[in-house]
Amino acid sequence: MPGTLDMLILKALSREPMHGYSIVQYIQRASDDVLGVEEGALYPALHKLEVRGWLKAEWGTSENNRRAKYYRLSAIGRRELERETAYWNRVAGAVSRVMLGA
Amino acid sequence: MRLLDGLLGVWHRLVALVRRRRLVRDIDDEVAFHLAMREAEHAQAGRVDPGLAARRQFGNVNVVREQVRDMWTFPSFESIWRDVRYALRTLWRAPAFTIVAVLALGVGIGANTAIYSLVDAVLVRGLPYPDADRLVVLIGNVRRATGVERRGGSYPDFVDWRTRSKSFEALAANTQFTMTLTTAGDPERIGVEAVSSPYFSLLGITPAWGRTFRPDEDQVAGRDAVVVLGDGFWRRRFGGDRAIVGQTIQLNARPFQVIGIAPPGFRGVSDLGEAWIPFVSAVGGLTARGNRGFFTLARLKPDVSQAQAQSEMEAISKQLEAEHPDTNEGRAVEVDTLHAQVFGQIQPALQVLMAAVVFVLLIACTNVASLLISRSESRQREIAVRTALGAGQGRLWRQLLTESCVLALIGAAAGLALTQVAVRTLVAASPVTLPTFVHPGINWSVLLFTMAAALGCGLLLGLAPIVHVRIGRLADALKDSSRGSSSARSQRLRSALVVVQLALAVVLLVGAGLMIRSAYKLTAIDPGFDPASLLTLSVNIPRIPAPPVVPAPSAPATTSSSAQAPAAPPPPPPLVVPAQALLDRLRAVPGVAAASIVSDIPLGGGSSAVFYSAEGDSTAGAQTAPRAYVHAVTPEFFSTMRVPIQSGRSFSDAEMQPNSNVVVVSENVVRRFWAGQDSIGKRIKLGNAGSTAPWLTIVGVVPELKYRGLPRNPTSDPDMYFPLNERPGQSLVMRTSVPPESVAGAVRAAVRELNPTIVVYNVNPMSTLVAAQTAPSRFTTWLLGLFAASALALAVIGIYGVMSYLVAQRRREFGIRLALGAGSREIVGLVLRHGARMIAIGIVIGVSVAVLLSRVLGSLLFEVSATDPASALAIGLLALVALLACYIPALRATRVSPVTALRTD
Repeated sequence: MPGTLDMLILKALSREPMHGYSIVQYIQRASDDVLGVEEGALYPALHKLEVRGWLKAEWGTSENNRRAKYYRLSAIGRRELERETAYWNRVAGAVSRVMLGA
Repeated sequence: MRLLDGLLGVWHRLVALVRRRRLVRDIDDEVAFHLAMREAEHAQAGRVDPGLAARRQFGNVNVVREQVRDMWTFPSFESIWRDVRYALRTLWRAPAFTIVAVLALGVGIGANTAIYSLVDAVLVRGLPYPDADRLVVLIGNVRRATGVERRGGSYPDFVDWRTRSKSFEALAANTQFTMTLTTAGDPERIGVEAVSSPYFSLLGITPAWGRTFRPDEDQVAGRDAVVVLGDGFWRRRFGGDRAIVGQTIQLNARPFQVIGIAPPGFRGVSDLGEAWIPFVSAVGGLTARGNRGFFTLARLKPDVSQAQAQSEMEAISKQLEAEHPDTNEGRAVEVDTLHAQVFGQIQPALQVLMAAVVFVLLIACTNVASLLISRSESRQREIAVRTALGAGQGRLWRQLLTESCVLALIGAAAGLALTQVAVRTLVAASPVTLPTFVHPGINWSVLLFTMAAALGCGLLLGLAPIVHVRIGRLADALKDSSRGSSSARSQRLRSALVVVQLALAVVLLVGAGLMIRSAYKLTAIDPGFDPASLLTLSVNIPRIPAPPVVPAPSAPATTSSSAQAPAAPPPPPPLVVPAQALLDRLRAVPGVAAASIVSDIPLGGGSSAVFYSAEGDSTAGAQTAPRAYVHAVTPEFFSTMRVPIQSGRSFSDAEMQPNSNVVVVSENVVRRFWAGQDSIGKRIKLGNAGSTAPWLTIVGVVPELKYRGLPRNPTSDPDMYFPLNERPGQSLVMRTSVPPESVAGAVRAAVRELNPTIVVYNVNPMSTLVAAQTAPSRFTTWLLGLFAASALALAVIGIYGVMSYLVAQRRREFGIRLALGAGSREIVGLVLRHGARMIAIGIVIGVSVAVLLSRVLGSLLFEVSATDPASALAIGLLALVALLACYIPALRATRVSPVTALRTD
């Protein structure tokens, strides 16, 4: 579904700043290995959100002492996440009601 | 929110553009970091070749890098070009829409470009001198009981300013007058500037050939007869022959040695200069501190501001006032920019016109926006298909914006073509003579302006369908979609646009109405004489040749002041033809009913003033000393001008001699000193109460005339008339029984027949002089009227379009109503009421804005305020025409056949 990856990225970053690799790991772990992120699609999505101003990025040092780019939510990104979440809840609720169909 | 995203996006991309290399390195590092982390994980899990596994999992590393880099760049040229081609195809497929939109935008952008090219020539490019912002004019002024008046400077004052001031790099006295050239062909009057030696270098002008004046050539009165020729004059009179440099030419019967040729296009600060002579050697009366009349040009030092120079000159004026109380009491100096001196009159008019054309463009844009909205309505399907095929929202917006920008650029091209024609017509039709160095036309700065205007319109227009769609989505979100259909939505938006249009048109119409009313009032002013069928001309009658004498140049064109230097003691030789004989000959010309000689033609400029005193008066102080403008006339002057004599009489023929000591005064002289008394026989004299001038007896009183300017004289001083004195420069006024232009040829022929050395010039019907007085106002009025008419037309087309659309949308409803027995009057009423509501709202908004803006027009208006009946008339006109535009679709509504209406859906 288009836009879903953006939403997942925003959600992942809402807790703490992360680099791309840990975002992949996080989504995989949080979804109990159901959602596997296409790694080739992750970086274009991250940079798109950064250009738009939803994410901010800075270079830091990773846990194994390497230079890594850390992303975090901007104020705009946080607001967008709230909107996306509300939308998702509505749609997901509706879809599951249909699928469970009474 | 989306807009903010877009702006942030553009900004981030711009930053990335500057830091390209770092961006590329960062992306590479980021990907490498990811691969390394993954590889480490695989290695830990004990896989063979963990690096390959990591890369395989990642996908094509190079493609991802490319994709990420593209995120940071603007759309490529190819992709824009694709959009443009698509837009062109779309426009090509809707020719009616495209033609109307391009025409509307063409008129709007063309009008803007035309006026901007004037603004560019006058206000942006400005004066054709290097560092022109440091050029100032020093204007001597005087405090009078009636306010501060500009007078100019005297030479002793000028010398003191030059030696005492530290604000200026250089100062140059300058004055302009005409001289008679008698070398190489027919005698001719040419415009001459007498200037101090640093004049040329101060302006940054270097001669095209030869040299300009040395300081020592500007030292002794009457000594150095040297002249610099203007380029145009040199080419016209001397065929552009450089050998003229070093030879002598005759000016006012005196030989002048040509020392240089000015560069092409240079006509001096007066813009009338065809030749230049040194100031001191040419201008008489330079020793008298009270003999004021010329302006001083100066160049500020680079670090000195106009205000600093002004305060320094005030201090110097104070010193001079203390040192020379008799001549300098109440005298000060005003430091004005040369730019303001040259362009002061035209600048406010241009600003108003520029605002007017921006309004016209806005109205044109709302028209096109309205069209675009109905188009986006009918393009819903196309947009839906493109969305289904995967076009994102951003992609669609880009397409819509590209389309409107392409449209606006085509409009701009049409506008530029229009401008080419319009500017030439405009300048040709302009009753305002622009300075000769102003060449409005299309150059890079104008092109840039046009491009900016077009792209601005394009963006604004592209927003219209986007806003329309957004409002639609908002309506969906509010679960309103079932009731507010999309066509009703666009109808509302288009109605709002029509209201805006009408409001803008009201502002322009009210403005134009006020200007027209003001122009009408100007032409209706009674100058105090009858300007119809009156021919005016000037002559220069040479004196019978005698041993060379220093010529006294004519007075400067503007008001000169106080006492002229006394004439040289030995009487000058007589004129080749006595003025009276010339007058008699001209009276015999068929078609001439009456004629009179006068020293200065009314409204022709060149009047000068003197101080006088009335016998027995003790009220006059330094600031209230009576002053009057003096004119020398023959007895028939008043009857020729049809000026009634209030009491007393005009001169007799016997009084036409230097020592007859009689004077005719205008009524304000009498009102000041002898109110309620019989003033005939009272006496006045020139100069202050202690002067030795002879007493002059008042023999007649005439009304005040608008002798020196319309709508009012520049100062309120009265006029005095003396019997004609015999001197070379004279002017004539002739009352004709046929159109005055038609006798001009016969008059010239008669003068040539009498004596071919007499120069005739400035031949004009009085109506031309009257028109010239009100020209700037009429020019602005004419253009503003034109723009207001375009605005009205565009607004009417707008409301017509919207009402037609409305009627088409409600065909079915009207059909049913008619079938149910509604009369056609009710249907018409229904449609008209809808239209009238829009018109009323538009007018209310427009009038509120117009009242606020009419203050801007203030300086251009004459005795007219925003509440003038003209405003009501303009609004009434708009309401009427707009209602008419609604009436046609309303009529169409009544012709709907119920059957067809029911079938159409």
